Amino acid sequence: MDIHQAQTAIIEFIKVNKTYPPDVIALRDISFAVKAGEMIFLTGMSGAGKTTLLKLICALEHPTKGMVEVAGQDLSKSSHKELQHTRQKIGMAFQDFKLLPKLTVYQNIAMPMEVFYTPKRTIKDRINYLLDLLNLNGKENIKPEKLSRGEQQRVALARAAANYPPILLADEPTGNLDLENSKRVLKLFKQLNRAGTTLIIATHDQLVFEDHPNQTLELTQGKLVLKGSAAREINETLGEQT
Amino acid sequence: MNLSSILVQTSRNLKQTWGTQIMTLITVSLSVLIFSFFFLVFLNLKHAGVRLGENIRIIIYLNSEIPPSSQPQIIKKIKSFDKVEKIVFKTRDAAFADLAKQLGPDRDVLNDLNADFLPPSIEVYPAKNLASLARIKQFSDFLATLPKARKVQYGRGWIERLGYFTQLIRLIVLLSGGLLVLTATFMVSSTIRLTVVSRHTELELLGIFGASKGYIRIPLIIEGLLQGLLGSGLGLACLYFLFSWIKTRFTGPGLLNIIHFSFLSSSIITAILVISILLCTTGSIISIRKFLRI
Repeated sequence: MDIHQAQTAIIEFIKVNKTYPPDVIALRDISFAVKAGEMIFLTGMSGAGKTTLLKLICALEHPTKGMVEVAGQDLSKSSHKELQHTRQKIGMAFQDFKLLPKLTVYQNIAMPMEVFYTPKRTIKDRINYLLDLLNLNGKENIKPEKLSRGEQQRVALARAAANYPPILLADEPTGNLDLENSKRVLKLFKQLNRAGTTLIIATHDQLVFEDHPNQTLELTQGKLVLKGSAAREINETLGEQT
Repeated sequence: MNLSSILVQTSRNLKQTWGTQIMTLITVSLSVLIFSFFFLVFLNLKHAGVRLGENIRIIIYLNSEIPPSSQPQIIKKIKSFDKVEKIVFKTRDAAFADLAKQLGPDRDVLNDLNADFLPPSIEVYPAKNLASLARIKQFSDFLATLPKARKVQYGRGWIERLGYFTQLIRLIVLLSGGLLVLTATFMVSSTIRLTVVSRHTELELLGIFGASKGYIRIPLIIEGLLQGLLGSGLGLACLYFLFSWIKTRFTGPGLLNIIHFSFLSSSIITAILVISILLCTTGSIISIRKFLRI
């Protein structure tokens, strides 16, 4: 998949505010840019606004103020069709997994690939690879309710990564995992990143981001503390605009 | 658009709400059965009416004969009320000759009688359609107002009853047609709504994955289409079995012998199937537009 657009911002937030009714402020004046092919860790305590930020990227929520741009598309001005195309570029692993209880593990992971009418053989090969990588061998015909929380989490990750998305958003991907499985998940992320995928990983698990101090965005009470290249980029971007 | 993918989605829909699907299928089938049953009765009665109409004539007995010079005027007046097949003016002598012919070998009984004891008459043969048959009473009342008319005669009782009965069946056909429209549209609409609700998370996820509107909506439309096709097919199949049963049991000597039962023609069957499919698909589209927020 050709998504190597180095030096180009694939995700951009400019002065984004998000308030939930009646007056719960989730994000305040957030501005940052993520280059294509970067791996960014979004950290912060529970309730800091990490999930809201991820939902804004895939247009599941809309900003109260400000602009969110993904893959060159201003989401607030996008038509349904444009939004559909943008979403096709994003893989999202939800904190609550959002696995469908009536479908098997295999069917759950296959869903995003079926949307693109991927050939059955390709779907099978990709699923087998992901199941093997995430230590889920032999679980393909099991319904999610029969799996542990950790296994469900890995199925959700496999589903998000199934389609080789140019952007992958993961909300607390190691929240229910032991050390060994956390390492397997990180291996998957690194593999995807090496292949060019831009990753935004919301986590408070230090193990996940300790090796990447320059790629961390920290949210505190809805405000962003920038670190590393992302901070430099947004300062340059905002500087150019003013 | 990939057909197998759409069929997989459709079968998932059907599996997840199979109980409601079966109820809807039965309701659509029953509506089609009720409508097509009365429509079949109506068509058969109409044919029977036409057949009976072939033998119908209204006789206007006259006080005195109408001279040939006045006959065109009388014909014009009769035709101004309704279409007629034929009008025959009968003199006293012609009526006597007819009676003698009918008596056949017993015609001797007429030997001592004068040929002028029978009144002259006009025989009117109404057009062979059910509308004329239904209006025959008004027609005969009108004919009674013709100059020199003394008495008007026709097989009054059963013709009137057949006319009223046919009108009643026509009304039932219209009502059951309305029932079919309502059940097909609303039942399918609520079933699709249930599918949308029960698969809400899945449909929402498909939206998040970037599925096209068609990918999400077409299986739901096919669901409605299948309800229409299977429901009307089942209803018509039941009607055929009912028809065959009635035909076997009720044909033979008796009143029903005057009716030659025939089943719906292939064009009417096709029309019922197509209309049911359209109605159910419309119900499906209404529900999708109303309840699917993706």
